[in-house]
Amino acid sequence: MGESMQGSPGDVVTRRICERVIDLAHRMPVHVGSALSAAHVLAALYHDFLRVRPDQPDWPGRDRFILSKGHAAYALYAALAEFGFLPDGTDPAELPGHPTDGIPGVDAGTGALGHGLSVGCGIALAGRFTAHDYRVVVLLGDGELNEGSVWESAMFAAHHGLTNLIAIVDRNAMQQEGDTAEILDTEPLVDKWAAFGWSVSAVGGHDRAALSAELRRIRETATAPTVLIASTTKGNGVSFMADNPVWHMGQLDDELYQRALADLRGNI
Amino acid sequence: MNFETASMRAACAGSMTELAEKHPDLVALGADGRGLFTDLAAKFPDRYVDVGIAEANLVGVASGLARCGLRVVVGAMSCFLSRRAYEQLRLDVALPGLSVTLVGVGGGLGYGTLGPSHHAPEDVALFAMLPGVRVYSPADATEARRILELEVSTPGTSYLRLGAREDPVVSVPAPVGDPRRPAVLRQGGSALILATGRCVAEGLLAWEALHADGVEVTVASVPCLRPFPTADVAELCRPFRHVVTVEEAVEAGGLGYQAVATGASGPATLTRLCVGDGPAPVAGREALLAHYGIDAAAIRRAVVSLVGGAST
Repeated sequence: MGESMQGSPGDVVTRRICERVIDLAHRMPVHVGSALSAAHVLAALYHDFLRVRPDQPDWPGRDRFILSKGHAAYALYAALAEFGFLPDGTDPAELPGHPTDGIPGVDAGTGALGHGLSVGCGIALAGRFTAHDYRVVVLLGDGELNEGSVWESAMFAAHHGLTNLIAIVDRNAMQQEGDTAEILDTEPLVDKWAAFGWSVSAVGGHDRAALSAELRRIRETATAPTVLIASTTKGNGVSFMADNPVWHMGQLDDELYQRALADLRGNI
Repeated sequence: MNFETASMRAACAGSMTELAEKHPDLVALGADGRGLFTDLAAKFPDRYVDVGIAEANLVGVASGLARCGLRVVVGAMSCFLSRRAYEQLRLDVALPGLSVTLVGVGGGLGYGTLGPSHHAPEDVALFAMLPGVRVYSPADATEARRILELEVSTPGTSYLRLGAREDPVVSVPAPVGDPRRPAVLRQGGSALILATGRCVAEGLLAWEALHADGVEVTVASVPCLRPFPTADVAELCRPFRHVVTVEEAVEAGGLGYQAVATGASGPATLTRLCVGDGPAPVAGREALLAHYGIDAAAIRRAVVSLVGGAST
């Protein structure tokens, strides 16, 4: 347990996102494993990559971000709170368990897996009509790749040369009932995406510097839609959650809450 | 009565090109079927996007385009558009209230001998259950064009069911106001026939047979099924003791169902002719209308059983 935990201690940006998630998980059940596996990606996106304006969340020229793995919503809200999209005092406990339209900074409501990449394709395509040079980033879960609709949109993106579209796969190798390899094996991911006509990049999903550098490279040089396969750990940063399917969804009692916070301080 | 016939799809294809000329922000999407957009695609190739045989992606892409302020029209076969992409329709288009006009070709029993995989008698009901979606079953090509042209400029989501092939031209009178409201085509006091879509022509044929027997009925087309025109339908029903509704659709959520559920039919008796559950024989569209008891003969029988009068 915890051997696959990753991250560089001192990444305050990511740690703040994780702490917000853990704070909430102390108060109510949260998809905490999926939220923690996405924390570095979200930090890299909002701190280092996305061209967005927190005070103008509908700015037409903005980069878009779609959390297609919508059950990691509380990590997204944590990032949106950290980066000034949500009004001060917003209580995440009053936000829905999957992102919905109308929440500042949410570019598309999600929650039913397999939708985000299609919507992302539409937004990417729209950039040609509206002459905006934005990027569209869609974060998918690796279990989500079970959904056939993902592959419809993957084919579409390559066929239409959507170079402004970036998919990120949060490859934590787990889904609700256990390991993805046992439920419905989606490997080899690199080969699959390449066969679908995508440029493929693979990066440690808890190395914020590497994620950010790769995202910047993709922005500047993409010649096809690009997928960034981020190797992550479900429940990363908290020793008793890492790679533990029990924490797909859960709530922390006082003792576990304190342990989790201590772990985050040491690990992230 | 011999009707001229016209293709709703061809008529709407003409409208689509005019609409694309008028609205530079219009983008059309199809799923390996550009019948509605052939001319548009020739004139404005960049503004027609074929997503291939992938209806879920079709609706998701429509959502993304509409989110960026583009005026989106989606055309696909009703059977696949209404069923295959239902989750995407609900979550990605209807729930956020995006401005997308969804055009389904061959709803109802329009594809006849192609069999049940291609029939969609429940398409209008499925769309009517989506939050905020306006739903239309135009009676003929002219009514379809009028409604399409209005809906492309109306914010929000709408669904239009078009015929698959040529359909009778029923000549709904030019509307004084909104062409989406019910329209009376024949006047007579014995009973009211409320019909929608293809069944309006059947209602007129029934009127002709009844008229020959001295039974005078009113026939009205109800093209808009959601929001249900309760006040208009109530106004139409008020003078009558007997109302017959007829539709190429399942009972649940349909014209007859809503006439009762909203109270619009008032104290009148209401006979609902619609597509039942029984399997469809291998038959063309007209034979299927007869099989399911939603053709002129069935309408006439229903009226006669209510008001008496003629030899059958």
